[in-house]
Amino acid sequence: MCGEHGNNCFVHVDSGLPPVGLKCVVNGEEIQACVDPTMTLLNFLRNELKLFGTKEGCGEGECGACTIIMNGETVNSCIILAVEADGAEILTVEGLAKDGELSILQQEFIKMDALQCGFCTPGMLMSARALLDRNPNPSEEEIKEALAGNFCRCTGYIPIIDAVKSAAKREREELK
Amino acid sequence: MLSKFDYYKPKSIKEALDYLDNNDETRILAGGTDLMILLRRNAITCKHILDIKAIPEIQRFDYKNGEGLYIGAGVNVNQIVDSEIIEEKYPALHQAAASLASYQLRNRATLVGNICNASPGGDLPPVLLVYDAEVHIIGPEGEKMVNIKDFFLGVKKTILKDNEIVLGVLLPDVEEGDNSVYLKQSRLKGHDLATVGVAARRNNENKISLAIAAVAPIPLKLTELEDVINEKGLSNDLPDWVEGEIKKYISPISDVRSSKEYRIHISGVLAKRALQTLIEKEVN
Amino acid sequence: MVEKEYRHIGKSYLRKEGQEKVTGQAMYIHDLELPGMLHAKLLHSPHARAKILSIDTSKAKALPGVKAVLVGEDAPYLVGLYMIDKRIIARDEVRYQGEVVAAVAAIDEVTAEKAVSLIEVEYEVLPAVHTIDEALEGKILVHEDINDLDYMKGVFFPQPDSNIASWNTTKKGDIEKGFAEADLIVENEFTLPAVAHAPMETHVSVAQADPYSNKLKVWSSSQSPFTLRDMLAKAFNIPRKDIEVVIPYIGGGFGGKAGIHIEPLVAVLSKAAKGRPVKLKMTREEEFNQLPTRAGMRGRIKTGVKKNGKITAFQAYYDWDSGAYADYGVNVGKTAVYSGGGGYEIENAEIHSRTLYTNKVFSTAYRGFGHLETHWSVERQMDIIAQKLGMDPFELRMKNILKPGSRTLSGEVIYQHTGSPSECLEAVAKEIGWTGYQTKEERLEQFKTGKVRGKGIALLQKAPAMPTNTSTGAIMQMDEDGGVKLMIGAVDMGQGVNTAMAQIAAEELDIPVEKVEVSWEINSDKHPYDWNTVASKYTLMGGNAVKKAAQDMLRQMKEVAAQVFRAHIEELAHKDGYIYHIKHPDKKIPYNKLSRGYVFENGNAIGGPLISHGVYTASGLTNLDPETGEGLPALAWTFGAHGVEIEVDVETGEITVLKMASAFDAGKVINKKLVDGQVIGGVLQGIGSAILEGYKFSSDGTLLNPSFTDNKIPTAKDAPLEVVPIYIENEQVDGPYGARGVAEHPMISVPSAVGNALYDATGINFHSLPLSPENVALRIAENK
Ligand SMILES: Cc1cc2nc3c(=O)[nH]c(=O)nc-3n(C[C@H](O)[C@H](O)[C@H](O)COP(=O)(O)OP(=O)(O)OC[C@H]3O[C@@H](n4cnc5c(N)ncnc54)[C@H](O)[C@@H]3O)c2cc1C
Ligand code: FES
Ligand code: FES
Repeated sequence: MCGEHGNNCFVHVDSGLPPVGLKCVVNGEEIQACVDPTMTLLNFLRNELKLFGTKEGCGEGECGACTIIMNGETVNSCIILAVEADGAEILTVEGLAKDGELSILQQEFIKMDALQCGFCTPGMLMSARALLDRNPNPSEEEIKEALAGNFCRCTGYIPIIDAVKSAAKREREELK
Repeated sequence: MLSKFDYYKPKSIKEALDYLDNNDETRILAGGTDLMILLRRNAITCKHILDIKAIPEIQRFDYKNGEGLYIGAGVNVNQIVDSEIIEEKYPALHQAAASLASYQLRNRATLVGNICNASPGGDLPPVLLVYDAEVHIIGPEGEKMVNIKDFFLGVKKTILKDNEIVLGVLLPDVEEGDNSVYLKQSRLKGHDLATVGVAARRNNENKISLAIAAVAPIPLKLTELEDVINEKGLSNDLPDWVEGEIKKYISPISDVRSSKEYRIHISGVLAKRALQTLIEKEVN
Repeated sequence: MVEKEYRHIGKSYLRKEGQEKVTGQAMYIHDLELPGMLHAKLLHSPHARAKILSIDTSKAKALPGVKAVLVGEDAPYLVGLYMIDKRIIARDEVRYQGEVVAAVAAIDEVTAEKAVSLIEVEYEVLPAVHTIDEALEGKILVHEDINDLDYMKGVFFPQPDSNIASWNTTKKGDIEKGFAEADLIVENEFTLPAVAHAPMETHVSVAQADPYSNKLKVWSSSQSPFTLRDMLAKAFNIPRKDIEVVIPYIGGGFGGKAGIHIEPLVAVLSKAAKGRPVKLKMTREEEFNQLPTRAGMRGRIKTGVKKNGKITAFQAYYDWDSGAYADYGVNVGKTAVYSGGGGYEIENAEIHSRTLYTNKVFSTAYRGFGHLETHWSVERQMDIIAQKLGMDPFELRMKNILKPGSRTLSGEVIYQHTGSPSECLEAVAKEIGWTGYQTKEERLEQFKTGKVRGKGIALLQKAPAMPTNTSTGAIMQMDEDGGVKLMIGAVDMGQGVNTAMAQIAAEELDIPVEKVEVSWEINSDKHPYDWNTVASKYTLMGGNAVKKAAQDMLRQMKEVAAQVFRAHIEELAHKDGYIYHIKHPDKKIPYNKLSRGYVFENGNAIGGPLISHGVYTASGLTNLDPETGEGLPALAWTFGAHGVEIEVDVETGEITVLKMASAFDAGKVINKKLVDGQVIGGVLQGIGSAILEGYKFSSDGTLLNPSFTDNKIPTAKDAPLEVVPIYIENEQVDGPYGARGVAEHPMISVPSAVGNALYDATGINFHSLPLSPENVALRIAENK
């Protein structure tokens, strides 16, 4: 426990340096924590908040497995320090389904078989989510551009692109 | 990561400069897309991280008629991609920005970080070179503007001192009729570093500028070649001529990304295509 | 042919685990945390070959939070699937840059990493074996003790005092006579580099080893629960019953997670750390640099043909640059002797396949298991022969293609029910509108535009590479709702076996597919045996085992129902969840009433909980004759073909895949959606091998591209614009509903088809992969 922030606070003593306070909102929940300054946002989400949905595929910004939405935009959480998320609003794969019901995008991923091993899926969903938020009617080219930072070794991408297309269509029709 | 650092996020330039003055082994953090990789690979170590993103001045991002385009150190690459005025006035900058890394990475990566990192293959420096951009630097002695061509010293080396911060970059204004293009060759269609990147500009007086990434330890402005081109003047044969000629002005190395031979070959191809684009525009 | 009506087979059910995977609920070893768990980090050799003079771990051991530091001496165990040649930590000598030299377990990753940085090693750098030719020369031996190594005898043939881990051969017919009869002899050399599997989840394992007994529990991102248990037992010389292997969701494997890898190392660390669980999660760099790859290969092919295109002789030397340890590499090499001629009838053949030790990261199984490599040689060679004969390469292939009555290289006879390569080839040729090569004039015309298009076709074949006695089992239990829990020993890595097996169980029992739940998280203590989730053999073998388990369950239900109805068991049948009397169909009992035995009105009970099982063992397979390669190695052949249309930028050398048509004789498609997924995904992996991927080494044997920065895999932008999967269904007589495996096949021959299309487009024959912008552009420029 950390004297500064009381019971809500996770103390991690990786570097032996004084932990830094951090307040953010993750999937709608307010989080207060103290983190080691060297900890990445990805490790904070996984190891401290126990949100294991977000994955690590490389730790170097290349593969997109760690993609989350921070303040409305996708970022590679593996190369961001947790402390940089102070004041941020964060959405992870765990926050996509609402009230026990899968979002349209998640449903379409299942329907189009846009996943196999599933390891890239959380990051892929976040990239797709942010795309549809800024562009409800993306072209095939725009979908590919938005997803190119997310590697998938299993599916060959085509089913994923199809899932994003049909989710876009359904969202435009159903979420008016 | 073996580095043990603390984290400081100043809210003003003064705080930042003071911090730099008082803390050795500090690294400036912007988007972190270069810095975090280097730290993770233990290619560098540091004791302090100075996150500049809360400094108001570096968010400056504007275009002023007669003055030009100012891009603050806090402006990320997607902001550049999304800017209509940049697409219209500085098309090569738009294209280079759009070709940099993946969408989510561009949400963090900054233009200033790209030049401070001083990678020979960075996508944005060639564009800044053809626009004769000025780097806006602040240090204990005050502010200064340094021409981008004097900024790079070598691989990962710039003129920046440990206690200096880049506030932003200024691209001089362009006149009606100014046009530019950035062409990049990579190993795949998805995001990749440039095997070679070529920026070309034709200003309203039909003067051509050419700069190129990944063929030398620093991003190169091909001044001598530009002189020859500008002496010859624009013609439909120019692009083909430049394709052969450019090879005399570069001496790239072979590395894991490409052989020297391909770099030479593709430099010619990209330069030719860039000039074709610029010259065709006129014909149409 | 009359189509049989099935209730579930052939239907595109959605994968069972989709919901867990889109919500982030699916748990991988990557996510596993256990009380008291420690984290491991490794020290790697910076040299390709060196003597370890000394290792000083004292500073690492003194670091607070460090619980164990191990070097080679502390872990004197040898492992190996076929050649027992690999230490779990290098000792005395390192054989590749990246090999593990020391391992640390500590309270967290940061402490472990710090401790690793404090270990001091003194090396004496030795000259190393870098190339296939250096390996064959044998001046330097990667394993100086090769003559003493233990290995699987009669199947693999290590050569004394050499770098040849195994030399397998085929000798069929009379090769000299064959060449003498030929009107034309064509010789070519083809090469391809090592490539990475690049599963998105790197290798990761957790182990807990009881310091006071042999008990060992291992959680691993692995394709091989039972082979892993077997190998651990052999390495540590402990009974199998003491080892428990648990495998939950795994983030991709593609062959790279088959067999045994980091698990024994984590086990010894746990034991050294007094039994605390230890987790080792490989970094992406380690995934490239320390864990095995697909081997690089050189194929030297000599083919004799008649003017009419008939092949009279085929000779090949396949030399595998297989790295420092044999692992699956020798078995990959072995496939070349019975499949390395491609899907053609060849009367006179001689094949030498040599798996070579070199001082590089070692190789293992990778989707296609040697076939992408040999087909790169064979299918390019076919096109080059066609060019020399002035023949359409489609015609040339059809002239020689395996058909009913033909014999394979190992002498196996092909029947209609073996599957039809020609139907596959015809289908893709039709789909891409193949009409033969374009003419020189057409090519020149296209060149003027700067973009040239071309089409290519290639044939492919593969049978599972597996031991002759490979077997599998399934256990089925029914609950009080009439629901079925099915346990199998195969790992669903996303290929969808659990969904397909649920369909088979539901089909046999005639119940809704939702009533069948295949138990996830394979546990070797609880789940029935399966050899390995590799080789595309599970649909056939597992499908049969599940079918039998279901039939056994039906039999048990009927036995009880026969007593209830006072009828003969032969008079009973099943339909839609009921056992009924065929003469009096209204006499029926729902399954759930039988699930715990049947209870009469007066309370008497008969029967008991319904638990059934089914097993399947490959039958009739033989080892190959060491000299001639004769034998029956194939459980089932799956044939296929690709047809591709590409566009090439003649200046940048960039290839765009416009359309890929891929046909497979799947026997019977159990779930089209899942198989489509295998095809589309496999095709793109093949395109990665074709135009992009490959390891690059420096002259001193250092891997130059151990990261995604410089060892890219295709992204969404690199996918073909269109993939058309086509299924031919010549039913496999011993396959469930006629099905055979297709999981690996989509990747095979993709590079060959692209290479052939590249010839059609440019008029240039390429012999080496990858067909990268650089390699393509420079060749075109040279040929201008
Ligand atoms: C996966 C991946 C793909 C990439 N692809 C590309 C690509 O295609 N093209 C390309 O050009 N680059 C690429 N990069 C490199 C990188 O993203 C860019 O160089 C980016 O522009 C760096 O910006 P940043 O804000 O993230 O810099 P940071 O990492 O924050 O900083 C980079 C360096 O500059 C210093 N610095 C930053 N801001 C200042 C300042 N204001 N004053 C003084 N010093 C400062 C830092 O201390 C550090 O040394 C890639 C990186 C990754 C991880
Ligand atoms: S884990 Fe962050 S990009 Fe790969
Ligand atoms: S589903 Fe396996 S990596 Fe995408």
